Amino acid sequence: MALKERVERLTQTKAWYGELPVESLYTAGIAGERFFRTLKDNGEFSGTKCKCCGIVYVPGRIFCERCFAPLEEWLTVASYGTLESWTVVYVGLDGSRLAEPIIVGLIRLDGASTVLVHRLGEVTPDTLSIGMKFTAVLKPKTKREGAITDILYFKPV
Amino acid sequence: MGRRVAIVGVGMTKFVRRAQETGQELAYHAAKMALDSCGLHLGQVDGVVLGSAPDSFDGVHMKGEYLSPGAGAWGKPYMRCFVGGATGVFSVINGWYYVASGLFDTCLVVCEEKMSSFQPHAQAAFLTIFDHTTERPLKPNLLWIFALEMNRYMSTYGLRKEDIALVAVKNKNNALDHPCAQIADKVTVEEILKSEVLAWPVQRLDVSPVSDGATAVVLANETVARRVTDKPVWIEGVGWALDTAYWTNRDLCYPRYVEEAARMAYKMAGVTDPRHQIHVAEPYDPFDYKELHHMEGLLLCGKGEAPQLTVDGVTRRDGELPVCPSGGLLGVGNPISAAGLMKVAELFWQLRGEAGKRQIARKAKRGIAQAWGDLMQVGAVVVVGI
Ligand SMILES: [Zn+2]
Repeated sequence: MALKERVERLTQTKAWYGELPVESLYTAGIAGERFFRTLKDNGEFSGTKCKCCGIVYVPGRIFCERCFAPLEEWLTVASYGTLESWTVVYVGLDGSRLAEPIIVGLIRLDGASTVLVHRLGEVTPDTLSIGMKFTAVLKPKTKREGAITDILYFKPV
Repeated sequence: MGRRVAIVGVGMTKFVRRAQETGQELAYHAAKMALDSCGLHLGQVDGVVLGSAPDSFDGVHMKGEYLSPGAGAWGKPYMRCFVGGATGVFSVINGWYYVASGLFDTCLVVCEEKMSSFQPHAQAAFLTIFDHTTERPLKPNLLWIFALEMNRYMSTYGLRKEDIALVAVKNKNNALDHPCAQIADKVTVEEILKSEVLAWPVQRLDVSPVSDGATAVVLANETVARRVTDKPVWIEGVGWALDTAYWTNRDLCYPRYVEEAARMAYKMAGVTDPRHQIHVAEPYDPFDYKELHHMEGLLLCGKGEAPQLTVDGVTRRDGELPVCPSGGLLGVGNPISAAGLMKVAELFWQLRGEAGKRQIARKAKRGIAQAWGDLMQVGAVVVVGI
């Protein structure tokens, strides 16, 4: 088999760059629409509770993935919760070093059964430990657009 | 041939141009409806099969994994199958062999497509299915294949566009009675012939639309089937076959791969004379001429004879061999995999006498559904009966 690594210029072998162009328009869905509107307008985290399983899904969903019950009971959970795990990320999507490492954590909001992934801020890695309490820092209301990035990061309580 | 497998429940969302629901939510609605229709709950489902066409439609890579919560896959054996446009019918075959083998007693089969996600139009998603060396530099789209096929079909048998357009008139009209239909419409041959030419001889109204939607069916072995319903619809035969991926080298005027798939299914079902032993057919009709093509491939008539059957009214709902009584992809809509599975759902309703206003006039004990896909060279066929 020919080894392309030995070819120093693309003109020496027949090769070219191409792409798989994909551009998408997404909807948040029936449940997502409500979750993001509540976050944008009220700065609150809303979820749905399955009466059969007792699970509280945040963001809310219209169905329970475990028992398939339709979920109609919406509730608001706390905007603070528990750190379930964390990491410090030093490389970006293309493998290059980030100018500033970022801290990423998993937060289980008080009252929720499910866990959110987001950035952590106002904290240094040497002070982090699983089980710590974190609270959401949101964009000011006028800047919020109904997106997960309306949450800037979570900071220690 | 393994254990007997029946379809015992069916669910289907409306097919729409642009759904607000996420793909997961669409899948859930169809899956939940299918389970409710036969009184089963998710805990009684042994395994789940998901059918969905290219990831790029929904804009989610590894769409099977993404859709799994809506398909009811949590904590269960779960398989995604994918043969392009043939996925909807193939997904039933996929589910069939899990139950026929004895591995599962029940299997939930869910098909979802959200084509509206792709921007600016789902058609562009197809550019990258072509050979990157010999074809992509020419910027092909799927219409090229259809137009070249249709021209070849028309030229070979001396067909007129007027005759082919009758299929679109019939199917869009049939869809008026389908509660999930997207573009049911009374159209005339004249309107079709006057519609915009996309790639000669294919015109706008010869084509099905892009759609969002989901369909689901519940499969069960004989013991479960007899317990949950008085009217199980048995899967009597399944078949699938592939022609060359060099689509330019195929017989453009006859879908041999459909014939091979059909022969496999007929053999299993003990069908020796399809023209008389098949009472209702749902061949894949993304384009009007494809219904005709596929009727011939399914051996429901001789080569080149399908247009005359249409002209004679044989394929109408009150005809001797109703074809696409649902309204088909041309009328109900074409969320790829969900549309294929919709065809199986239609047979379920027709054979049980539950198709409402769409109920065909003749008595029907056996039907056939077929879908077509990949680079337009795969055929998937299911024969069902009561
Ligand atoms: Zn539940």
